[in-house]
Parts: sequence; structure tokens; C-alpha cells
Amino acid sequence: MSARRTDPPRTPRRAEAVDLSARLGPLRLRNPVLTASGTFGYGDEYAHVVDVKALGGVVTKTVTLEPRSGNPPGRIVETAGGMLNSIGLENVGLERFRREKLPRLRALGATIVASVGGETAAELERLLEVLAGERAIAGFEVNFSCPNVARGGARYWAVPRRLERTLARLRPLTKKALIAKLSPDVTSIGDLARACEQGGADAVTACNTFVGMAVDLTRLRSRLGRATGGLSGPAIKPLALARCHEVARAVRIPVIGSGGIMDARDALEYLAVGASAVQVGTATFLQPDAALRIIAGLRAALAERGVGSVREWRGVLCGEPLGEGPAAKAPPRRKRR
Amino acid sequence: MSAARPVWRQSRARVVWQDDWGAGHRWLELEVKSPFAPPSPGQFVQLRLPSVASPVLLPRPMSVASVARSRGALRVGFLYAPVGTGTLALAGLGAGSEVEMLGPLGRGFPLGHPGTPVLLAGGRGVAPLLFAADVLARRRRPAVLLFGARGRAQLVGLADAHRRLAALGGRLHVCTDDGSLGPRGHVVQLLERVTPGLAGPLVLHACGPHAMLKAVALWSLARGVPAFLAMESMMACGTGVCRGCPLPRSASARAAYVPATAPSLHGNREWAMCCTEGPVFAAGDLDWERIE
Repeated sequence: MSARRTDPPRTPRRAEAVDLSARLGPLRLRNPVLTASGTFGYGDEYAHVVDVKALGGVVTKTVTLEPRSGNPPGRIVETAGGMLNSIGLENVGLERFRREKLPRLRALGATIVASVGGETAAELERLLEVLAGERAIAGFEVNFSCPNVARGGARYWAVPRRLERTLARLRPLTKKALIAKLSPDVTSIGDLARACEQGGADAVTACNTFVGMAVDLTRLRSRLGRATGGLSGPAIKPLALARCHEVARAVRIPVIGSGGIMDARDALEYLAVGASAVQVGTATFLQPDAALRIIAGLRAALAERGVGSVREWRGVLCGEPLGEGPAAKAPPRRKRR
Repeated sequence: MSAARPVWRQSRARVVWQDDWGAGHRWLELEVKSPFAPPSPGQFVQLRLPSVASPVLLPRPMSVASVARSRGALRVGFLYAPVGTGTLALAGLGAGSEVEMLGPLGRGFPLGHPGTPVLLAGGRGVAPLLFAADVLARRRRPAVLLFGARGRAQLVGLADAHRRLAALGGRLHVCTDDGSLGPRGHVVQLLERVTPGLAGPLVLHACGPHAMLKAVALWSLARGVPAFLAMESMMACGTGVCRGCPLPRSASARAAYVPATAPSLHGNREWAMCCTEGPVFAAGDLDWERIE
């Protein structure tokens, strides 16, 4: 049962009594705050300053079958209230991830969601075949939305039938949580999310970075090594929040909100529009322990509002669970003149 | 090489004072409480202003210009030019203001490298090299500092450099592009002039604009003189996680790269990460034709 805006004010609760747990299909999280892929390394790089066990989960840097060296510089540009990146899925590749990273992650005791990326459904199948049996991994997030690669990026995957078929091929390979991360730069993110649900995804992450650009007026060229990059940070929060809301109304599976979450209030907004969990990305580059601060802030904020659990707060702005989103209704046809 | 655990921390630091340092630059002195590992010359920290004081989002990488211990705390000095939104906001902070300091980061100058140390500075690049001269003097290795800039007005902190080097028993030579002080020409030409008078073999440590560092690197590679250059890059995290600051490796460095033993916070075969492998690089490790 959801807490409603019209409910009378509640008595504040003890912060320790607030139940922060969250669920993404088969995956139970101790709290709803995960690190976003690409902003927390493979999970062990910040371990000397962040207690990774206290996070809801760590979504690792996207791993691909082969190592990738990434895009040429510039890879980072700060813009008003945000940052553009053009990393290009630089990663150590499946073999080294498995041999070197997974044993360390297991030792850390964190809830690890492995982000996987591929140019084809077959590549993703291969990644899951190899990684599904790894005990260090609690779930998978399939990166269907990288804006910075020539092949297998956001544009390639922004086709509902392709997503549905791909997830239908991946689903039998693992009983672990299977999460689809979507791009916001699409005509209807709700349609894509529904396709993921149909294909068997346990949850959908809404959303990856927005395609953006910045020009160096002195050299008259892009300030990034490629023409465009992915925009993140506070600048995109209202945009990403609207995408999250749209997805939450379009599917029945859990939604993970992501985009510009800098503090607990931002997280509360995402949860209020229907997210079951959130991811923190750019904020970690400002403060490596940003996700931990947000967890503490979330606990305090829910207690202050007299809300006993994250589940109770989730979707407070969504109304009853909705199977149909705005895109499901055909718009009234316009008469031709 | 095994992956050593990082030692950096993010701590609150307090502005002790800051003041104009000439040539459009400012000196900033911060105090940070222990435990904060003292940075060495060439290392950097990420400074983040409280969001109410700054319109910028990301922390700014700042090269460390001095380190001193003071009653259980650490005093860390910086020389910077308030030119962008972030550094202009930094210039507005008065004594007692708080910032967040993350560090120490990266690898500094290998000051133990054998040879007569020659320090080559371009503009505000002088700051970490004066810090290096301090450390070398404590090891009884007086340094020679070659200091170049566009003109006399851009030789930032020249009086301070004179005073500090004299106290350390080092020597200072200056040059300017326009000949307004010292011989006309850039710092590599000055190096050519000064070298015959120095006891060899030499080891070069340089900090300044990339064009100058490239000239120093090519000079050193042609003569087999070891040289170490402090590079710059746009950065987000400063710690190797975001992969945002690649520099191209030289062909020899690519050939020598062994993925199995390279720490994952370092770069890959093609790119070195400025924040974790640098910012100080050996001349032979980078592809200078591809560096801007």
C-alpha cells in the first residue's frame, strides 16, 4: 500500500527502524542505492574509502568479450550543471574481469551486478554463458544504451523487437536478476521497457546518459574526441526523472531510476515516481562516498516523514500500479485537411 | 608490478590564506587535518568547493606547490591562475573557508633518479619544481632551475623562486620568448646554453605547457638524457575510475605493456591514464606526435 499525498501528516519514526530493503526480481537489496555502471570501476577501486557492503549494490563497469581501449581524448568535458563523457566502453575484457576482478569482489562481500555489453545478441549470450555460474555476481545489467561506441550502442538497441528477442535468448541462461539499461534518446522509452519486460527482464534501468555535445570555439571542433558524448549530472535530472516516470507507468517489473542523483532528496523523487531503486553515478566523482551519504540521507528523510519503508514510499506519485502507460493508448487520430 | 592499494583520502581542508602572486596568479594555502598523506612534488589533489560557493560541478585537479607540517596538520600550497569558472570561484574564498581535498593523487617526479637534477619550468609550472628543489636540497642535491615564460611579466613568482633557490644552494636561469628578461628564446634553448657548464650525467624534471614539455621530451630522447614531464588533462574523478584522462603511449611503451601485471586503475596498451600513471611521465613513455 502506498503512502498518499493526501494522507495526514505522520509521526516521525526512528531512522534505524526504517526498512530500506528493495527487490529487483530475484535480487534482494539491503537498500535501494546502487552505483551506476562506469562510475565505480569494477567495485574494488574505492574499497579503501567506501564500505561497499553497505551499498545496495555495485553495478560494475561494462565488460565486453574482448578488452576495449576506449575513445581518443578528450573524454571528459564539464558543461553547465553536468559533464559529458566519451569513454567508449574501455574495459579489461571478460577474461581478465573473471580471473582478476571477480575473486576480489567476492572477498569484499558487496552485492555485485555485472554490467555486460555486446554488439550482438550472440555476444551477450556468450558473456552470460561464461558469467552466469560466477558466485560473486548477484545479477546482470545489460548495457543496451552506450552513446559512445560505433557499433552495439544506444542506437542499435533502440528497437523494441530486437530488445525483446535478445532478452528472450538471455533469459534461459541465468536465474539471477536480469536488468536492461535503456537510453533516454528514443521516441518512446516506455515501448522499449515493455519489450524488455516481454523478453523476460526482471527490471529496467531508466536511464543512461543523454547524447550531448560541446564545441571548442578556438579550434572549431568538438571538445570531445568523438563528435558527441553522454551527458550526466544534475543537468539531466528532470529529464531522466520524466523517463523514469514514463517507464514506471509502462511496465510492472521494477524500475531503477538513474540520472543526476546527487543527494537523498533526488533519490526520494525517483522513488516517488515509481522507481524501486536508484543508481548514483556522477556524484561519486565529486565524493567517492556519495552513495553512502545518500543511503543515510534517505533513511533520515523517510523517518522524518513517518514513512516506515522504501516500498511504502515507492510510487507515491504513480497512483495504483499501472499496466498501461501513456504510450499504450493510441493518440486520437488527426483529421486530414 | 602489483596493484598497490591507493592511499588517497577525501578530507575537509581550510583556507589559511591566499594572495596575489603576480602575473595574474594566486597562491593558496590550505590546512588539512591528519590522516592525509603528504603529497610529493608532481603529485596533485582534487579540490572541490562547497556547491554554494561554486557554480562548477567537478572537482579541479591542482598540482601541489608546497607541503609543510604544522601542529598535527598539513599545510598544502597551490599556485593557480583564476581563469575559469572553478578557479575564479576558488579565488573568492577567504581565510577560514572550507573546501574538500582528495589526495594525494598520481605519481610525482622520481627525484631519486641519479644524475644532476635540472628543473625546467614554463610559467606557473615553476610551483611544483620549487617544491621539488626543496626536497632535493634536503637530500643534499642542489638543483638547477631553468625558468622560461612568454615575457618578464609571465615569470610568475620570480622573486620567490630566486629567494628559495638561493636558500637551497641551487641556481636559477631565466629566459623569455620576447627577450624582456634573460636571453631571448624558450627553455630548451636555455637548456642548450646551460648544459655545457653542468656536471653530467643530467636528469630533467619539467612542468609547463604541453608544447614546452614536448620540446623538452624530444630534446632528451634525441640525447639519451632521462626526462620526466608533468602532464595535464581534463579529469573527472582523478583516481583512475572514470577513465577520462588518456594520453597516447609511445610505440615502445605499447610493446612493453603487459596487461596481466598492469593495475586496472592504470590505462591499457594504447592509452596511459594521466591521473594514475602520471601526471609525471618519462619522456619515452608517451607518443609526443599525438599530444596536444
